[in-house]
Amino acid sequence: MNLKRLIQHSAFILALGSALGLLSNTGLIKRYFQGEFRHAFLSKEEYPSITFITLEEAEDLFSGGEALFIDSRDKKDFKKGHVLGAVNIPFVEHKEEALDLRSIPLKKTLVVYCDGSECQSSVALSKVLHKKGFAPIKVFFGGWLEWRKKGLPVEREDDSQ
Amino acid sequence: MIRNRDLLLGLRFIVGGVFIWAGILKILDPLEFAQGIDNYRAFPRFISFFLALVLPWLEVICGSFLIFGLFRKASAFLVSCFLAGFLLLVTSAILRGLDIDCGCFGSLSRKVDYKLIVADSLLLFFSLNILFLRKS
Repeated sequence: MNLKRLIQHSAFILALGSALGLLSNTGLIKRYFQGEFRHAFLSKEEYPSITFITLEEAEDLFSGGEALFIDSRDKKDFKKGHVLGAVNIPFVEHKEEALDLRSIPLKKTLVVYCDGSECQSSVALSKVLHKKGFAPIKVFFGGWLEWRKKGLPVEREDDSQ
Repeated sequence: MIRNRDLLLGLRFIVGGVFIWAGILKILDPLEFAQGIDNYRAFPRFISFFLALVLPWLEVICGSFLIFGLFRKASAFLVSCFLAGFLLLVTSAILRGLDIDCGCFGSLSRKVDYKLIVADSLLLFFSLNILFLRKS
């Protein structure tokens, strides 16, 4: 087979696949440009109780004392420092069933965070919490980095003992 | 290289079948796949999103073409490119210590590890054999 034909046929397949992919997902594309998936690729219909909040909103919930903060980072990072009063539920892929959620009240507002906007464990943990019936769940996407940077109340494992 | 034509036909069915299966699972949940790509932290978010919309359809088309013998070389070429790209992505994720799902089979995806590199390399070997098969 010559190279020219290989390229022509490959281009045809790429064009066909792209057309089918884009045409069958026009609704999602519209929602993407409306900013719905800015923080994570979560469907509102599938996860209605999960919302994303800013540092200011997280601060308000903290001041009001009406929410439980959940830190999804690993134990080592949590011990080094975390939001004052936060509970540590380290999220590990494929070990969702082993998560100890007994200390989490079912109907209290939960604020879930991890390192910052780059980490995804807060979103992954929120999905598990949603499936187990916890609500409402707010993902603080600025996470630990933003919280610490603004000098908001924190504690270390040594402080809390 | 494999020269037995019956064996090569079998390889076309294996590679094609795996790609059709993987593609359909992703088409059913494009957001899950977009999140899977995004977890590799290798692309801007909009690239992850559009790859998640288009790649599954390409997988199904290439897989079907391989099985039915349409545009066989071009399909094998594209499948090889996808597999090579995926190999690079998985290797870089392991080297960066990312603890993530591979995103390869939608919600049935497994964790990124060395076994995945072996499985992916094997599929790449199969698809390259289909690509470089000479007409007798």
